[in-house]
Amino acid sequence: MSNRVAVIGAGMTKFVRRAQESPGELAAQAVQMALEDAGLEMKDIDAVCLGTAPDAFDGIHLNGEHLIAGAGGTNKPYLRHYVGGGTGVFSPIHGWMHVASGKFKNCLVVTEEKMSPCNPHPAGAFITIFDHTTEQPLDLTLIHIFGMEMARFMHTYGYSEEELARISVLCKGNALGHPAAQIAEKITVEDVMNSPMLSTPVKRRDISPVSDGACAVVLSNERVARTHCKAPVFIDGVGFRLDTAYWNTRDLAFPTYVAMAAHDAYKMAGIDKPEEDIDIYEPYDPFNYKALHHMNGLFMDRSGRKLRELFDADQLGPDGSHPICPSGGALGVGNPIAATGLMKIAELYFQLSGQAGKRQVKKSVRTGVAQAWGDLMQVGTVVVMSGENRLPTTASMWNKMTSKDLPGTALKKVEDVPHFGYTPDFRYSWDNGAALTTYLDGFKAGKLRASKCNKCNRMMVPPRAFCELCNLHPVNDYYDIQDTGTVQTLTRSYVDWDSSMLPKGKERHYAVISLDGASDEMGICHWLGEVKVKDLKVGMRVKAVWKPEKDREGGILDIKYFRPLKQGERTSKTVKQIKPTEMDTVTGKSFPGAIPLNYVYTAGVGGTRFFEDLAKGKLSGTYCSHCDAVHIPAANFCEAGMIALDVNKNARVVNPGSGFVSSFTDVFEDRSGHLLSKPKTVVQVVFPKTVGSLFGVLELAKGDVVDVGSAVELVRSRQAGPEHIKFRLKKKRK
Amino acid sequence: MGVVVMGVGICGSFPSSGGLSYRELIAKAAATAYEDAGLEPEQIDGAVSCEEDFISGYSISDEYVPDQLAMVRKPVYTITGDFLHGLSSAVMQIRTGRFKTLVVQSYCKASNIMTKDEIVHFALDPTYNRFGVSPHYLAGIEMQQFIDSSGHSAEDIAEIAAFNRSRAMANPLAPYGAKLTGDDVIASRPLATPVTELMFARPADAAVVIVIGNEEAAQEMANDPIYISGTGWGSGNSIIERRAHDISEGTLVAAKMAYEEAGISVPQNEVDIAYVSDLYAHRELMHMDALGLNTDFLPFINPDGGSQGMGDLMEANGGARFYDAVRQLRGNATGHQVVGAKTALLHGWRGIPTDSAAVVVLDAEGGDNE
Repeated sequence: MSNRVAVIGAGMTKFVRRAQESPGELAAQAVQMALEDAGLEMKDIDAVCLGTAPDAFDGIHLNGEHLIAGAGGTNKPYLRHYVGGGTGVFSPIHGWMHVASGKFKNCLVVTEEKMSPCNPHPAGAFITIFDHTTEQPLDLTLIHIFGMEMARFMHTYGYSEEELARISVLCKGNALGHPAAQIAEKITVEDVMNSPMLSTPVKRRDISPVSDGACAVVLSNERVARTHCKAPVFIDGVGFRLDTAYWNTRDLAFPTYVAMAAHDAYKMAGIDKPEEDIDIYEPYDPFNYKALHHMNGLFMDRSGRKLRELFDADQLGPDGSHPICPSGGALGVGNPIAATGLMKIAELYFQLSGQAGKRQVKKSVRTGVAQAWGDLMQVGTVVVMSGENRLPTTASMWNKMTSKDLPGTALKKVEDVPHFGYTPDFRYSWDNGAALTTYLDGFKAGKLRASKCNKCNRMMVPPRAFCELCNLHPVNDYYDIQDTGTVQTLTRSYVDWDSSMLPKGKERHYAVISLDGASDEMGICHWLGEVKVKDLKVGMRVKAVWKPEKDREGGILDIKYFRPLKQGERTSKTVKQIKPTEMDTVTGKSFPGAIPLNYVYTAGVGGTRFFEDLAKGKLSGTYCSHCDAVHIPAANFCEAGMIALDVNKNARVVNPGSGFVSSFTDVFEDRSGHLLSKPKTVVQVVFPKTVGSLFGVLELAKGDVVDVGSAVELVRSRQAGPEHIKFRLKKKRK
Repeated sequence: MGVVVMGVGICGSFPSSGGLSYRELIAKAAATAYEDAGLEPEQIDGAVSCEEDFISGYSISDEYVPDQLAMVRKPVYTITGDFLHGLSSAVMQIRTGRFKTLVVQSYCKASNIMTKDEIVHFALDPTYNRFGVSPHYLAGIEMQQFIDSSGHSAEDIAEIAAFNRSRAMANPLAPYGAKLTGDDVIASRPLATPVTELMFARPADAAVVIVIGNEEAAQEMANDPIYISGTGWGSGNSIIERRAHDISEGTLVAAKMAYEEAGISVPQNEVDIAYVSDLYAHRELMHMDALGLNTDFLPFINPDGGSQGMGDLMEANGGARFYDAVRQLRGNATGHQVVGAKTALLHGWRGIPTDSAAVVVLDAEGGDNE
């Protein structure tokens, strides 16, 4: 059976809108604090696991690999895991596996998110979470589907916008005591209600902010925990569940996947009645309604009555019987996605060991639960923790921690530091396979098509070639269904996919529509049109408005929108079996796609020093006492010892003309694989009495020949960015 | 706690797979694995997938995992690693005692991606390492250093690529089997000197799915179990300015862990076959050094033709090797069967610009070496 696992230390950066630090530097700062808090050094850590959500935020493919140095994973067993927005609370679960399996004694769990590099807006990255063929053409972003989920939640459980606004007030107020908080503030329900409407019923202050930040915890087995930590907080239960990606096909009002994950965690922790056995709750709250939505899941209460009673009795605050989000949550502390979930785990560690300072809840607490959620509204991750002792107030650095004590440098604008832009050219051509090609052919013919599983008898939209609920039972029967249906939920949106506001006076109506002839729960997402605002409502009957046949291309946009049924307009639920598309080289369809994002990166603290030097024709390394060596290029942490370095105080002058080529290559293609008109030479250059090297392009004059050992000099540049790191051969003195 | 392989499935590999969506590709491999394990998916506790966002084309691509595995609403997560990394995580998960059976999945639909090099270029550090040239430049830098320090020549390295491509001709699943010589490889188009085009594995499509379980599950259900006797993984420095480019530190860390767990002290004498990442031909030799294998062992390395023969399956590379290893240890690898293979060593590397690797040891016969 599993070994017991405890949190014995935590660290985090400030959560900020735009950090100067690079992603690795943010992670390293959190790691250094966590190690200090745990009283351990990097050599004591057996394994590292890292959580970060989409690579599209940081703007780095293989972002987990890129973060190895900052996370302390160099020359260690290192794994990166993710489950979208649920990653933050899944991270300690994966760390728990490392230790509970008996494979490792101490596992460092690190989470990081740097959302600010992503343009035109970090929210734009979310367009690529939707199905590339059936949903991305609708220009969807998260706010749209949250608007629809929030509307469904309110419709089902009877919460008003004003009531949900109380959660924003609560969380932002709680965050006033949190040292990492980005948008802690004392506000009123009116402030929330008066904030700009984005996508009904979602308003600006219903939502957590875009954030950069990192968080880390140290997990240890029971023996280490009791030796090193006076107040370890144990992980008693874990649960994680992932629902179908067909988000239109399930109940949005109640998070069944959260309830199932909670059930797993409670069973492991020996909890029968969570509302009685758990003292403190950290549900994920990227939107105010989500805190309540998730609490229903954590209470495993589809009726919502348990929570409603507590909400009406005002018992969810720090002085109440069931405190939620005492940290301030994503709404108050900020939401660097993966780091937020782990911040909630850290909050349980603080609260259950008496280290929460001004945020310590009034009641005596022994057991807490943290939860995160994400992906296409489909994943629930849950951790139950318990403490045994409370540290004396004076014994913890966290009790008196202030914002000034936490690392992380907030920038007002990226132009304040060396920075550089990058526009990736990511293009795809999706093979849609038999089922989706049949679907797309249907659009061209002005038909909506489904496939039917003969085991569960579901008529499925979009059609599948197998049934995901019937052990992959093959599905071979395809049908034309009706192009009429019923609106299950909707949102009036004022924002585009990239979070920019639509032109004044414009709005777009998104809806989930269950289709006549498909199974009850089968819906698609599309736009509504030809409808007066006063007539928009859940339950309205609608019909597809098709483009003229000559304009149809075989895609979801062949339907212009769905309009309300006219009075007396007849509908039917009859279906007609059809022959599916036969796949051959003519009919096998691919669908074009691209990721329409661009990035602006800060150079980081180390990079700032490097490019400021480069502009002056200088080069400096950073002295590291752990290695007793000068690191090249300049660094604000040492990845070997995971100690902080100061790029200015520890700077050591290096002669930029003293380099030697240690390796070189002539490259014949550009970054996209196109042939260059003439090859470029990339060199790795080392400098005397330093550890490390620089890579750059070698500028060759006619007749120049490069070899290993060739003497080179770094070329001065006033422009920042890797393409401006250049070398030239040093001419031999005559 | 012993962990065993209960079933394996593959769909691929293909140079391209038009007509199959990624979902259908995976579902076919999954159905084969479940059939091989003699299980219905509803009997399995959860899943681990191995994916990267920009390769799949989705952000948080884990959201598209459960359906085609029939793992809807089960415990599922994603590892951004080679299949062998995901497998290692799944083995840990079973060893917590909380899970009895799991499915591990990885796929590659390279034919969906129109700008592959661009994606790899995007993996380079944005502050110091993106020069606008092919990301193969780092392989060129590595190979140059490896030649300088190892004593191997470019011709030796070319022979590795030619050998793997040639032996893939005996593997009916390998799309890139071809009778090549070292001279053909050397003479092919230069990518980033000294790396030539035929030294780099060509992209391909495939999905690999396996079912693993604890010994209790194996005794109850598995028809032909193979034992996972060691797992290890490790990463070298991600800062390429401070990484040695002629050795694989990540492989050293991974091998040490896996060998200790499997009770292996002299791998060359104790394993019968090995699968060693050959995405670039020089990397096979570099990895062999770190794994403690010398060139005498080359005839027993990558009997399936490796990535050179089966194609670069990205996160699924280790999965294709794993599928072949299980077939070898069961004695049903047909035309490329290595006679008497009872112990297999598997190595996976994550490709440029990483130095992250995983190592797994499989045994045809039981024995928990913990």
